[in-house]
Amino acid sequence: MAEIARTVERLCEVSIKDYVNPYDLEWPESLDKAQWFTSPELISLYETPTYERLGEAARKRLSFFEAVNFFSINIHGEKSLIEGLAARLYKKGNDGISSYLHHFLDEENKHMVYFGGFCTRYAGKVYPDKKLVFRREYARGEEDFLFFAKVLIFEEIVDVYNVTMARDERLVEIARRINMLHHRDEARHLVFGRQIVKELFARHSPSWPSEALRGAREYLKNYLVSTWKEYYNPEVYRDAGIEAPYEAREEAFHTESSRAHRRRISEGCTRFLLDNGILDEEPAL
Amino acid sequence: MRTEEEIRQSLRDWIIKTSGKILPEELTDETPIIERRIISSLQVMDLILFLERLSNKAIEVDDLKPGVFQNIDSIYKNFFEGGSIDRP
Repeated sequence: MAEIARTVERLCEVSIKDYVNPYDLEWPESLDKAQWFTSPELISLYETPTYERLGEAARKRLSFFEAVNFFSINIHGEKSLIEGLAARLYKKGNDGISSYLHHFLDEENKHMVYFGGFCTRYAGKVYPDKKLVFRREYARGEEDFLFFAKVLIFEEIVDVYNVTMARDERLVEIARRINMLHHRDEARHLVFGRQIVKELFARHSPSWPSEALRGAREYLKNYLVSTWKEYYNPEVYRDAGIEAPYEAREEAFHTESSRAHRRRISEGCTRFLLDNGILDEEPAL
Repeated sequence: MRTEEEIRQSLRDWIIKTSGKILPEELTDETPIIERRIISSLQVMDLILFLERLSNKAIEVDDLKPGVFQNIDSIYKNFFEGGSIDRP
């Protein structure tokens, strides 16, 4: 806990120093859709036969809806995150981290201002969330551990996309800017996330029955896969004018180059989970 | 146009393939697939997309009633006998 306390203190200082007003962001009145909004290599259909059949204009149009999907995924992820963070604020045992949870909450809300602003201004919609959560019983400390571990997995993947797209000069400026602003805060969230996940696992998992430990590991591996599945959205493909959108999703998800892409993007995250004994085998991505 | 039996069989096939936890002879249209964790909450998104494809109707998660995924019977009644939303 002493290590976390030092990290929390340092992250709070940086959050205060880096404080930004999300309403300062300048939004173009309208956007020319004949531009790149997502790095082509990060488009979910990249290197699939469907993608190969598209001309450049159609690929750029697809890149716009992929950006709307990426921002929509973030909105839904951050909504759940805000709920979970708010529930843990000043909860018994969380005194040492509550000061940082305030920044975390504030920054996640700002991100939704960016993401929601882009989606509603330029697409007129946010793609709906298709996830459902069912209540279940947890071993002692398991629910908190899984909450922060899920947040970490989600944010680690997103951050690789953010870093890549913030640097990609082919992209429309507003798309680059949103990716950059998100990454600036996420870098801190990831430092906090890795420490809290490691600490909660070390504190609670030794007391879990072996079945609970196996279940938690299985759940996280499946969570990683289901997080990736959100990136393959048939509604995106339909909006981009692609015929047979569900078939395109199946094809894209099971293409070997897509698997390699998911493994590459998730590598930092899975390495962390394996090195700390949180996972005991590579997830089948 | 698929018959009711064809739709129910497609649902059974999808559940068996996706779950990997149940044999065909163990799965009836009344087997509680969520309660028995044959399908996990993380697989529900795939189930929703499968149902959209099968019914050619968009599904709004916010409009779903509790228990719609309880078993094959409830899925058939809710998504193929009405209750979901036509794709615009």
